[in-house]
Amino acid sequence: MKQTETDTAVLDQRLAAWDRKELLNGCQAVAQGVRLADVDVISAYPIRPYTEVMDALSKLIADGKLDAEYIIADSEHSQFEIVKHASSVGARAFAGSSGTGWMYGFEALVVTATDRLPPLFLVGNRALDDPGAFGVEHNDAMALRDMGWLLCWATTAQEALEHVLIGYRVAEDSRVRMPMALAMDGAFLTHSQHMVQVPTEEAVARFLPRYDLGPRRLHPDNPISIAPQVNEDWVMELRRQNWEAARRAKGVIVQAYQEFNEIFGERYATPFFSEFMTDDAETVLIGVGAVAMPARTAVRRLREQGRKVGYIGLRWFRPFPTEELRECLSRFRAVGVLDRNFAHGSPDCGGIVLHDVRSCLYPLASRPAVVNFIGGLGGRDISIADCTRMLEITGKAAERAGDEETVTWIGLRE
Amino acid sequence: MSTGLPVIKYDKIKGVKNTPHEEFYTSGHRTCQGCESAMVMRQFAKASGPRTIATGSTGCMYVANTSYQTTPWIIPWMHTQLGAGGASAVGMAAGLRALMRKGKLPEEKINVINFSGDLGGGDMGLSGVSGALQSDYDLLIIMYDNESAANTDIQATGLTTYGAQTTFTPPGQKHRIMARRWKKNVAGMLAVGHPTCRYVATASATYPALDFLNKVRKALAIGGPTFIHTFDPCPKGWDFHPRYSHELGELGIKSGIFPLFEVIDGKVIYSYDPRKKGRVPVREYLEKQGRFAHLVDEDVDYIQQMVDKMWEEWEVPGVAPFRGNLNSAQK
Amino acid sequence: MIKRVEVNYRGIFQKSLGKYLGSDIVMIASRMGKVAFSNGRYSDSPERNGIPCKYFAFVAEDLSEEELEAECGAKLDIDEADVSVVVDDTMVKGVEPWGWHGVRPINEKVHEKGCLLVITRHQPEDLLKFIAKKPYPYRLATLEGDASLAGMWVFKDDLTRERVLGAIAAVDPGIISIEAVEAYLLDKTKDARRAGAAREAYEATLRRVRLVKPGEGINWSHPVPVLPKWHEFEDTGIAVPAVPRGFKLGPRGQGRNDRFKRGTTKTHRPVIRFDLCIECTLCWLECPDGCFDPTEDGLYDVNYEVCVGCHKCAEVCPEPECIVMVDELRFENDRSPWEHWVRDPQGYIRWAEEKKGKERVHFPVVTGTGREVREGTYVPPKLSGAETPA
Repeated sequence: MKQTETDTAVLDQRLAAWDRKELLNGCQAVAQGVRLADVDVISAYPIRPYTEVMDALSKLIADGKLDAEYIIADSEHSQFEIVKHASSVGARAFAGSSGTGWMYGFEALVVTATDRLPPLFLVGNRALDDPGAFGVEHNDAMALRDMGWLLCWATTAQEALEHVLIGYRVAEDSRVRMPMALAMDGAFLTHSQHMVQVPTEEAVARFLPRYDLGPRRLHPDNPISIAPQVNEDWVMELRRQNWEAARRAKGVIVQAYQEFNEIFGERYATPFFSEFMTDDAETVLIGVGAVAMPARTAVRRLREQGRKVGYIGLRWFRPFPTEELRECLSRFRAVGVLDRNFAHGSPDCGGIVLHDVRSCLYPLASRPAVVNFIGGLGGRDISIADCTRMLEITGKAAERAGDEETVTWIGLRE
Repeated sequence: MSTGLPVIKYDKIKGVKNTPHEEFYTSGHRTCQGCESAMVMRQFAKASGPRTIATGSTGCMYVANTSYQTTPWIIPWMHTQLGAGGASAVGMAAGLRALMRKGKLPEEKINVINFSGDLGGGDMGLSGVSGALQSDYDLLIIMYDNESAANTDIQATGLTTYGAQTTFTPPGQKHRIMARRWKKNVAGMLAVGHPTCRYVATASATYPALDFLNKVRKALAIGGPTFIHTFDPCPKGWDFHPRYSHELGELGIKSGIFPLFEVIDGKVIYSYDPRKKGRVPVREYLEKQGRFAHLVDEDVDYIQQMVDKMWEEWEVPGVAPFRGNLNSAQK
Repeated sequence: MIKRVEVNYRGIFQKSLGKYLGSDIVMIASRMGKVAFSNGRYSDSPERNGIPCKYFAFVAEDLSEEELEAECGAKLDIDEADVSVVVDDTMVKGVEPWGWHGVRPINEKVHEKGCLLVITRHQPEDLLKFIAKKPYPYRLATLEGDASLAGMWVFKDDLTRERVLGAIAAVDPGIISIEAVEAYLLDKTKDARRAGAAREAYEATLRRVRLVKPGEGINWSHPVPVLPKWHEFEDTGIAVPAVPRGFKLGPRGQGRNDRFKRGTTKTHRPVIRFDLCIECTLCWLECPDGCFDPTEDGLYDVNYEVCVGCHKCAEVCPEPECIVMVDELRFENDRSPWEHWVRDPQGYIRWAEEKKGKERVHFPVVTGTGREVREGTYVPPKLSGAETPA
């Protein structure tokens, strides 16, 4: 690209947007995002693996690097309610959880969405009990999928930090006002340390405006009643309003990434999902979260052998990028959907992502073959070899021999 | 406020004629005729005034008050979940404190109040209320106690009086009494368990006159996290004609079945000491309610014995059921 | 053909009565070989003391249970009724069960030639002074009696239930026949007195059915609120504006929720002898609904639009005869009594005493255990020159 003088100025500005590199794990990177977002209220309750973000935040407050109320709650339910109500008075608020802790507070999560309040939560994905298990599994965050939330996965610690900023920006937009769940694979992402670029406060201030609830702020100068009881005469209309906000959110997300790129450099080519080596691909794998690393590596190595394969990392699960993903996936002969979750008793006993992807493709006259992989449950690792195998199985499905299994468990002792 | 109306001060109201006229919880709610919990709403809003924000946990005072997309609230109000009363108050107070400290809101005292029913505040939300009372925020939690889950048409809670009929505790041919739990002493347990909480009280909306209004003001004036447990006769669930809701409250207090006290910085003050004029027999209170229509003499005697013990044997009558003769041991 | 019966009743006070009537109709119709089912209007629940509620019963001879359920079951309210039963006659002034519903005429659902059946001691002509006119003829039947009010746990077994069944058989034997009612009651209770009460009410009602002509009744002044479309209230979707702050001394001086006034909850209203008032404040202070308005002369006006008739003010008032609860049907409007008093003290006292009459309805503490009428004591006017407004 030819650079004009203005472009150079923009580039300089973009370079100035970055402050320093720090060695941070995923939780600590999110804590840096929370610091940069100048969050007002934080509520903590311990559960692995998300807890470390709260450890990091309490230290930032203790050291005077962040000015926020830090409330140690008596349960996740209280933790989420504290954050919800702090948000209702106009405070930018942050909480998070993992696994069964997330589920313990679920009632509060449901109403945060229907109250149309935009706090941000970190979900350090963890398998649900019983038996107790610490490892990653996406069912905890996925339980939000029908609840009126923004739900997005970070792939790296760097992305996690950046998505705290993007998340608040989208959630708090007056056209949206929905709560934001930023999910991150437990252990793999929450606990491994990487060199992370930390933006400057000035650049963040340009990107993320102050939180302003406007006419929905609970304050004596703005007397309103929030969430009066309704009956059959009202619920459908209110649900439709929620749906409209989710619809508008898509446009706001696109705009947020555009401006993020303008301020911080071309970080994201596409907002809702990332595409890797898909240009002339025939077979692609689509997955969520940190599995992108082995998957992309597998793709790269297969490409070296001349195989037309690619990887799609689904970043935003809610709102689901229906049209965008449909258009994208229509280019391929076969799509392998990798689910790090399990939808017990669902069609084909597959995963949650499978169902949404298949449903999204249904209106196409000519649909790619779709197969599903269940893998990495409870923290089981997904290797490069696993990803290679999945791409191969998906490639065979493209032949539509008719004998392919819809769902394959990867990494299972069998 | 742009209306230019006076902001209410927290002085003690001396005499009913000095009660502020202006309402901040007004007519147009779907509560029962003669609802004493609605009295609690009206009085706390009147006492705390316009610079107040409130949350109401799920329960009668949520569903009945904001009848289907309308509101009787003049102060800002928000629904909170059944067990989230304490957390909602902490969240609002924390948000306001942070915003004011960081210059995002003008500094001022804004009253933060949550009201929860006995099911929400005394059972499900007890842990959250405890969490709130451990905090250092200015907040007031009012537990309005009508001794049942009245919003789901009267089920027993941990605060239902022994023996009472509810849909979970119907008298039957084999079991006359299904409600066999003794009423949980929420204010007492909170006062005992939260030594840094400076104000815990029980109250009645209408007897003695101004009792509750002034307790709300005292709580707001003392500051920090505070708690008031109100005793609310419920014409619906207790089954008496709404005409007598004041009388039932007065009888409950005079019989001593519901003790009225304040614990201020650890000091216990009885707002109405039924021992002074002699406690009215509990029977007079019980027989005026359809929910006790199935009781026989031995049941009434048992309830009377328990109330007698509370006043005569407890080390701190009405507040804490310890019987260690601690006072005499010290002598 | 489907027969639809609605029972309009007072929440909680008549909750059991409403449900029993619905159940009885189903049982009796079933014994007659018909298909029937019954339900309550779901939005009425949770019920509150006094708030108008409905219970329904549906009967068909030639439909399957599934078809009957499909036609009548999955609905919030019915579109039309063959019989609208009113078990408390003060509901003829209109019913407003919840916010955004409006004050609806009691005969709203009665279809052409259908019947409005009211338990009352008033004459049909007196009731029609409150009932909305309809463009078609329908029938108005009256069954002599008082509103049978009880509570959650103690039911008032005063034969109202049996008498209403008999009256329904009289106004529409296509729903249940009197013979079936009698047989059912006898089988169920082995108590000839109950079957007799139904029969007696049946015969009395046959003599007290009146045709209401098209246009007979009053012009209904209460609008039915128009519910907004989803995109018309997005700004206020989950949050509604608070009631605007506002207070001044005098009638209607306090800001109130004008979307739900719910004055139709009351069966009685307080009539105040302002000349007897000692300004103790208790009526105002103790009103759960905040319906009293302090006035500049130290009195307390009552706003009848929002008064729900709980009787509490009359109970806590220390002055005999100062506040007396009076049958709601004796009043045509909700105007400020204090303004009347200020304008014409002598005339006001005469008006108040005329409304009060001699009878004082007395409820026991446990509502279902009785009701008696006592004689009031007339207290002569206490008017001195200084206290009488000019």
